[in-house]
Amino acid sequence: MLLNKTVRSSSTLKLAFIYVIAFCAAIFGLLGFVYWSTVTYLYEISDRAISAEGTLLTRAYEAGGRGGLVALINRRLTDGYFGDWVYLLVDRSFDYVAGNVKSWPASLPDREGWRTLAPTDWQSGEAKRPPLRVTYQVLPDGHHMLVGRDIKDLDRFGENVTIGLASAAVLFLILAAAAGISTSRRSVARIEAINATSQKIMRSGLGERIPLRGTGDEWDGLAENLNSMLDRIGELVETNRQVSDNVAHDLRTPLTRMRGRLERACNQQLDLSHYRSLVNDTISDLDEILTTFSSLLRISQIEARDRTAAFRDSDLSVIVREVVELFEPTAEEMSVRLQLSAGETVSVVGDRDLLFDAISNLVDNAIKHGGDHREVRIAVARCADGPVLSISDRGPGIPVEERNHVMRRFYRLERSRKRPGNGLGLSLVAAVANLHNARIVMADNSPGLRIELHFPIPQGAVSSIFDQEQRSWVIGVHRS
Amino acid sequence: MLGSARHVLVIEDDAETADQLVDCLKSSGYEVDLSLDGEDGLRRALAADYVVMTVDRMLPHIDGIEIIRRLREAGIVTPALILSALGEVDDRVRGLRAGGDDYLVKPFAFREMLARVDALARRSRTMVKETILRIGDLEVDLLARIARRRGREIELLPREFRLLAYLARNAGQAVSRTMLLQHVWDLHFDPTTNVIDVYVGRVRRKIDSGQDYPLIHTIRGIGFCLRAPE
Repeated sequence: MLLNKTVRSSSTLKLAFIYVIAFCAAIFGLLGFVYWSTVTYLYEISDRAISAEGTLLTRAYEAGGRGGLVALINRRLTDGYFGDWVYLLVDRSFDYVAGNVKSWPASLPDREGWRTLAPTDWQSGEAKRPPLRVTYQVLPDGHHMLVGRDIKDLDRFGENVTIGLASAAVLFLILAAAAGISTSRRSVARIEAINATSQKIMRSGLGERIPLRGTGDEWDGLAENLNSMLDRIGELVETNRQVSDNVAHDLRTPLTRMRGRLERACNQQLDLSHYRSLVNDTISDLDEILTTFSSLLRISQIEARDRTAAFRDSDLSVIVREVVELFEPTAEEMSVRLQLSAGETVSVVGDRDLLFDAISNLVDNAIKHGGDHREVRIAVARCADGPVLSISDRGPGIPVEERNHVMRRFYRLERSRKRPGNGLGLSLVAAVANLHNARIVMADNSPGLRIELHFPIPQGAVSSIFDQEQRSWVIGVHRS
Repeated sequence: MLGSARHVLVIEDDAETADQLVDCLKSSGYEVDLSLDGEDGLRRALAADYVVMTVDRMLPHIDGIEIIRRLREAGIVTPALILSALGEVDDRVRGLRAGGDDYLVKPFAFREMLARVDALARRSRTMVKETILRIGDLEVDLLARIARRRGREIELLPREFRLLAYLARNAGQAVSRTMLLQHVWDLHFDPTTNVIDVYVGRVRRKIDSGQDYPLIHTIRGIGFCLRAPE
């Protein structure tokens, strides 16, 4: 079947038909005009020739009277060039005088004018057959004269033009309809493929992908985008699953502890101070769980990307200086030296709270895991591809194969399992970086770890041009 | 209005939480009125003169922030502490904080809640601004931004001075780490490390070392308190 149900109900097909109809209307209009102007022009030319011949005959009559006119008519009748012409001269009582037809058509009025003669106007047995285009007049002495020509060829030409134009139009209609149907079938086929994949995904999970045809057309583009969206969803679902597993695992430990404690309180007779310390321990365990929960919720909320409303133009240098100032006493206490190089203004568009929190986490990590070479370097700089913040320590670093994992929620390196912390710090950093479209780079500081945050060149509210000569950003703020 | 100096309005629809709140506030010497729904709360807040009110954010039919907005429209400036199960600090909450009201996420420690109510109540009472605060032998000059102890100037970084000034404004009352982060650093998140403790520790060394008595005290489970001995 040429058109199955989906193709028939396809919007592309409907659209194609609307186009075909519109084009046909336009084409018919155009062809109609071409036909009309061509044919009218040809008939006009013919009429003009007939009129000229009439004038010539009248002149001959004026010059040579009836004899002169008859002589001219007879000359014409022997001239092959005028073979398709018709001449008739009759006297006052319509009796034949000269010409190549015998009798005056009864339907012609007794005056002068133009007429296209149909077969019904004509008596049978005449040498010339209609269709004829004639002009007729009454001469001063009462004779009637008729001159005209056979327009069979003209009529045929008109017919030919009509047939030609009509067949062109029909051919066009067929081609356009075919093109419309084939386009619809193609797009319907691709949409069907996408639909089928979606249904498979709904039935059996995120493993399916939409097949590509390798044509590089817009359908492949759409399929590629949908596929990468599916990849992204798959990643999110996987992360989600891991997070749920980890939450369950991380919460089970303190919950078990609390349950045991409460059970003990229930079953044993304890003195008041024991009860008090038991309740206090339970409260601090609960606080720990709540902190973990708020951190998780905070990360999810940042990942949901609904916090860009608080984005403002901020100076990264100022934020970093504030973080370093806040951590100065902590670093001092752990005899770590914080080396800051953040002189000039480095504009980023972002949320100060979140940036502060993320940078705090990085600095905190660097101080705590910074190793024996007690120095942490923090630098803010403007690079050609945007602002860069780098934090380097001299500690053991993160093994290359673990670098992809440390951003995951609850992921902790083996060596830091015993230290306090919930393994959410770098997840928060990753979420904040993502929200700000910043790239995180982890590099070897040999020894140690260097974490870099590469921010995009500020855009949108702030437009900036990197001035190569001045080595600085030219910032223009556009606000309405 | 001495009679209303300790008069607090609690708008909270969950009966058990409401009970706990009322208990906690009463045991700290506040007089408490309780409204279990938003309409009643709004009526009471408009009718009586409270020193502070606590407002649940998700009340039936109405957002607590909406109640505060209507009160402000009616010219009632009673400072409010919003208690909310919604964790996010959105723009409306930021606006609230900028306006001098406060926000606390459920579940919260009652001591933290009390510290914030105290701070709001104090702000509401001390409408006349003092420019020099005196706590024991400590003198905090808010205009010159200088701190002296026994007449001798203590060298402080600008941020350290802001911290001391905030503690001094709330002298005698507990101040939580989150409150410090909010008022001294203008940051709205809960610190997950002990960085604030260490920072306060350094200020404490500058203020208290070599003095007759300590002024900055750590309050377990909450934060800190600046107070002179009795």
